[in-house]
Amino acid sequence: MTERNAKLVEAGEVLEEISGWPLARWPERFPGARAFGYLNTHVPEEVLHAAGLTPVHVFGQRRTLEQAETRLPAFACWLVRSALDAAMAGELDFMAGMAFAHTCDTVQALVDIWQLAVPSMPVLTLDTPVALDAAGARRFFVAALGLFCDQVAALAGRPVKDDDLRASIVLHNDIRRLVARLYALSDRLPSWTLLAALRAGHLAPRETYRRLLADLVAALEAEPSSVAPGAPRLIVVGAHLDDTSLYRAVAEAGGHVVDDLLDLGRLYYSELVAEEGDPLASLADRYLAQVPIAAKTHSSRRRDEALVALVQARQADGVVLSPQKFCEPHGFDYVTLKSALDRAGVPHLLVELEQAQVTGQVRTRLGAFVEMLC
Amino acid sequence: MVKKSYRKLKVARDLTRMMKAYYAKMKIASRLQPVAWVSSGAPVEVLVALGVLPLYPENYGAILGAQRAAVPLIQEAEARGYSPDLCSYATGHLGSVFAPEKAPMRGLPRPDLLVASNNICGTVVKWYEALSDHLGVPLFVLDTPYVHGPEVQDHVVTYVAAQIEAFIAWAEKQTGRRLKQKRFVQTLALSNEAVDLWREIREKCVYRPSPLNAPDLFTQMAPIVVLRGTKQCVEYYRKLKAEVEERIEQGIGAVPDERYRLLWDNIAIWPGLFRFYHLFSRAGACFVCDTYTHAWSTGVQTDDPVEGLARAYTAVYINMSVQARARMMVEMAQRFQADGAVLHANRSCKPYSLGQHDFRLSVMAQAGVPAMILEADMCDTRVYAEGAIRTRVEAFLEMLRES
Repeated sequence: MTERNAKLVEAGEVLEEISGWPLARWPERFPGARAFGYLNTHVPEEVLHAAGLTPVHVFGQRRTLEQAETRLPAFACWLVRSALDAAMAGELDFMAGMAFAHTCDTVQALVDIWQLAVPSMPVLTLDTPVALDAAGARRFFVAALGLFCDQVAALAGRPVKDDDLRASIVLHNDIRRLVARLYALSDRLPSWTLLAALRAGHLAPRETYRRLLADLVAALEAEPSSVAPGAPRLIVVGAHLDDTSLYRAVAEAGGHVVDDLLDLGRLYYSELVAEEGDPLASLADRYLAQVPIAAKTHSSRRRDEALVALVQARQADGVVLSPQKFCEPHGFDYVTLKSALDRAGVPHLLVELEQAQVTGQVRTRLGAFVEMLC
Repeated sequence: MVKKSYRKLKVARDLTRMMKAYYAKMKIASRLQPVAWVSSGAPVEVLVALGVLPLYPENYGAILGAQRAAVPLIQEAEARGYSPDLCSYATGHLGSVFAPEKAPMRGLPRPDLLVASNNICGTVVKWYEALSDHLGVPLFVLDTPYVHGPEVQDHVVTYVAAQIEAFIAWAEKQTGRRLKQKRFVQTLALSNEAVDLWREIREKCVYRPSPLNAPDLFTQMAPIVVLRGTKQCVEYYRKLKAEVEERIEQGIGAVPDERYRLLWDNIAIWPGLFRFYHLFSRAGACFVCDTYTHAWSTGVQTDDPVEGLARAYTAVYINMSVQARARMMVEMAQRFQADGAVLHANRSCKPYSLGQHDFRLSVMAQAGVPAMILEADMCDTRVYAEGAIRTRVEAFLEMLRES
């Protein structure tokens, strides 16, 4: 094994380990860091980081529900039910609090229910414009970010200073540039390692993550493509994936995931924040410049067009659409995306995810889909 | 002979006539004036003042439910990829757009404009986007941030007001008409008058026996939803109020021999409008208050109409926090002297249904009455488990009898 290759394997393994590390045992993996939970893509982690906190994404949990059923109906999605269950079981007590940015009807209710169900945990909320090009959206969001900073500062026991915020913006921009490079090199590493690397960016202290990611990208630069000849290049669409099992199943079926339109992936890491000027205005501008997640809207910047453009840019052979069961925004979005893919002649497969793991039936369907593309 | 447990309102005939005329007129009127499809929480006063005919896909969805005509249309939407887990108002209505030949009244007349406000749910944004794409009709989305705290904050009012200004400009551009301030203020005044009357009518249910029961409230709410801002709406509610007052004077209850007074939470189970609610009324249980028809009860301040609309449409019931709604529900149960509460866990509606476990606990602990969560759907009869529901309702009534 060459030295570069060894580094690639090592960085990949560490990122996979972080991605798969049980959330309840996070403090063992990162001792000394002060964790602060968040549930969705639009929580401005720069603000948390600038206050000395480590933002940690609470994804859907692989668990048997014990208490969440006493607070949420069965037709709420697995993400919110399993996350609340973990919190009610005390498994998130190591976190200094939870932050929620407004996304969908389910999460907006979860925020209130969380406070009633887990009263000992501080909860922060951030309003986000639903229509990214609404009149007054920028002014509103800058004000909302200001209130969010005040809440964070009060909890952290220290002010969120502009200089700290700017340094944090630089760190996060570095990460976004590295992730962009990682996507460009995605045919050089196993699909599940790509997803693990993206997930790890939500879970590790960001300085550590930047170093690991830089190692991985540097090692990949000199690697040849690892995609088997004729293996279909795929794009995965969805919100959050609770583990790497879907990507592993794609790989086992003989496909290779080259890119995604996931809330935790492309959408989370896309668009840089201006490093000059008022930091809160810069954070707001980045949000408003993004491709909307399924729960948001923009009168002309459309998700279906972004997806078709991504398919073309990445020369993908097919798309796996993986909404979470009971997710209204993605449920509606599926039909819009499917129609756009049909018009563009791009094959696609629907894999509705119920819980945090991929079932045997999904594997069979992925196998048939990949075979059809070969 | 089965004892009659439903006492029909005399004005019900007027309502049927008026709603039939509304839906008959819409076919003709749609050729003469611009038509907008709007979500139930859209600031419709702007459109009415511009001479636009507003039509309500949600109300159409409720009609589909009440006529038990929703499922074949929901299946049309499912055949096009929509999941059975989505809102059945949305999938039923989308089905009527995809297959008008199968739809009652052949669906709603084609719109010129689409207006959706997320004060009732985020679903309407996705639903109207789908309509906009399918029909090629322009869409305006009014974003009204959810109120987690006790009240609407100033920066939120500023934001929503900016959008209302933009909405007026957009609607003027789309219709080629100018919004006349005088007509706008008149429309708001009519809307307020109807909202006030509706609130007063609902408040009359504090009397024993209650002059109205849930099926009355659910059918009588139609004008406040679809005719808000018109004289017709105000006139109708004056008549209804007079009849309700007459019932009170004569001691006539909506349910003969009222024995239990109940609170209803969530949208109606439309396909069971009589059969389901009859399970209660035949046992002398009357739904004297509810959180659905309560949603149309906030007036608009007219000294600054734009800010007034921004405040009123942001602070609608379902856009308020679980904590605030729990407080309102307890207060409602106490004021109406409810003996129990039935919370409909409506698979179609997450904003109404998430939080119900906490509502139930609050009502039990603070109002001191039993409360039951019952899973069903507002339109989709496929998820209505008749036998299981009957058993649970009977057990609940038994508990009321014993308490």
